[in-house]
Amino acid sequence: MNQTTTPMRATNLVKHFAKHQSILARLRRREPFSVPAVDGVDLELKAGETLGLVGESGCGKSTLGRTLVGLYAASSGIIELFGQQVGEERALEQRRMAQMIFQDPYSSLNPRMTVGAVLREALLFHGLVEKKKVDDRARELMSLVGLPSDALDSYPRQFSGGQRQRIGIARALALQPRILIADEAVSALDVSVQASIVNLLMDLKRDLGLTMLFISHNIAIVRQVSDRIAVMYLGRIVESGPTEQVFNHPAHPYTQLLLNSVPKMTPGSAIAVSPPGELPSVQKAIVGCRFRSRCPVSIPECATIDPELYVVSEPTHLAACLLVRK
Amino acid sequence: METPLLSVDNLSVDISTGRGLLKAVRKVSFEVNAGDSIGIVGESGSGKSITLKAILGLLPGTAKVTSGKIFIHGKELSTLDKRRRRDLISETIGMVFQDAIASLNPVIPVGEQITEVPRFRLGLSKERAREQALQLMAKVGIPDADQRFDLYPHQLSGGLRQRIAIAMALSGSPKLLFCDEPTTALDVTIQAQVLRVLLEMRRDSGVGLVFVTHDLAVVNEICQSIKVMYAGRFVEIGSVENTFQTPKHPYTFSLLKAAPDPALPVHRLFSIAGEAPNMALPITGCPFAPRCFAATSACEVSEPEPVRVGNSYSACFYADQFGSWQSAEQVGVKRTS
Repeated sequence: MNQTTTPMRATNLVKHFAKHQSILARLRRREPFSVPAVDGVDLELKAGETLGLVGESGCGKSTLGRTLVGLYAASSGIIELFGQQVGEERALEQRRMAQMIFQDPYSSLNPRMTVGAVLREALLFHGLVEKKKVDDRARELMSLVGLPSDALDSYPRQFSGGQRQRIGIARALALQPRILIADEAVSALDVSVQASIVNLLMDLKRDLGLTMLFISHNIAIVRQVSDRIAVMYLGRIVESGPTEQVFNHPAHPYTQLLLNSVPKMTPGSAIAVSPPGELPSVQKAIVGCRFRSRCPVSIPECATIDPELYVVSEPTHLAACLLVRK
Repeated sequence: METPLLSVDNLSVDISTGRGLLKAVRKVSFEVNAGDSIGIVGESGSGKSITLKAILGLLPGTAKVTSGKIFIHGKELSTLDKRRRRDLISETIGMVFQDAIASLNPVIPVGEQITEVPRFRLGLSKERAREQALQLMAKVGIPDADQRFDLYPHQLSGGLRQRIAIAMALSGSPKLLFCDEPTTALDVTIQAQVLRVLLEMRRDSGVGLVFVTHDLAVVNEICQSIKVMYAGRFVEIGSVENTFQTPKHPYTFSLLKAAPDPALPVHRLFSIAGEAPNMALPITGCPFAPRCFAATSACEVSEPEPVRVGNSYSACFYADQFGSWQSAEQVGVKRTS
């Protein structure tokens, strides 16, 4: 496979969830309404980079991750893996290529399967090793993620939260993926354990030459791990760019609000007064800029024009705000 | 010396579980006065929530206070009869829980829930209580309080629900507000709004805050003093400023290093070896010793008592060596002696 092609690219990706309609509404032939969880996202994962995806709950970041990895079928739009467009049904090889690490290490592992069984199943299904070598490979994976290899016969409940997350990572790595999508992979863990899992992920990414999408609401951690970040609001990416560029010079009013709201560790810091308002519901079709209702600097045009991503600074810092448009 | 508003002396709580007796809180003592803002920080299972619940008499049936005295206005709670104890606690302390939806009654309009205490305990008329509730709702930053008064909890967003819970806790005009992870379930922009409300409460009405959280950055933003809890004990007590700059206990030191500061880029997080101890097992020596960069064999023999270091207290044998930890952390290996 060509090494230079972009590992993953999404173009105008949309994922709608159909809303349940009452019988009455159906009898009246009301237009069915669907919630646009991901509403036209362009995204590119460059080879070897970590892209951090941040946003508040309900903004669609998890849905985006799951759609990219193939757990949800996209409503429309194109996903390419190493230059090849994926179809409705991904080929086995394509499924293997992008793997996901889930948030909750307690519910993402089958409680009735030993760790060995979890790893063996993945390895054998994809035919990655011969049957007689499968145990050796499983042990290798265990030591790769820093777990004792004699723990293969244990059940998930016998491990702590941090160890379970390591099992989740081993399971993802079993398929020798090229892309890892970590969806809130450390959010359920205590601070003292969190750091060791983040470091493990970063080491593995470097050693195995992986490309990573790191989805998190924890802005502090995203800042430490990402080369680039993308900020999501109501189903859209509203700002993206090199991590330090975005942190030091946020261009979109939402990014500014988000960064100002994060509690800091530095002495004497005081949380900026945040404007009132919360994430609006997406029950109604959105006209104009989606951040308008909370935006402290909106102008009349914001009510009618849905801003696209404009260039803030060359080459790659983009923001979807009319005030950025030159 | 004035009698403290709340004083807790040598409090211990055991919880019986299927796997044996869990020493959830061990010999905890502290005082709170009006206008204080105290952050109690610890990881899950360190005993911070149980400490608050023990003070309020809200412990689950499996938990038992095994030692200690709690004083409110100098009155020891266990000497009072049940009713007077309850009255004293509820008129002095308001509590905000992490999960607002679970602490609100789903079938009663939110406004009515705020009027309950003023009506039934303070004897206010329905109209007067409503008026007061509306004022409180405005005070905690609920827009259009008038219209929201008659809504049910499920009709409100998480941030608004948490504000209703704060208004409810304040409705009996308590002197102290206990907050148990009140913003953990909220998004950062909403968290910032709720923290603002709490800061203003303290500034304007002099309410004392006891804030339990695992988030050091939140403590830095809203508290003046900090108590770091590990394995059921306070391992470090000090002012926020002091503690964040020069932590005097290796656990605090490691925790501060492990939590990335969103304001600064660091490319490698400091990680603490191992995991929190199993509290059902007997503790010999310092409970943090197996994970500690500064531990020696002495730490495995007996548990250190808190000692004074500057203006802080630290339960570490090597607390006075805190100045040398910067380098010890880089080595990252257990010291042998």
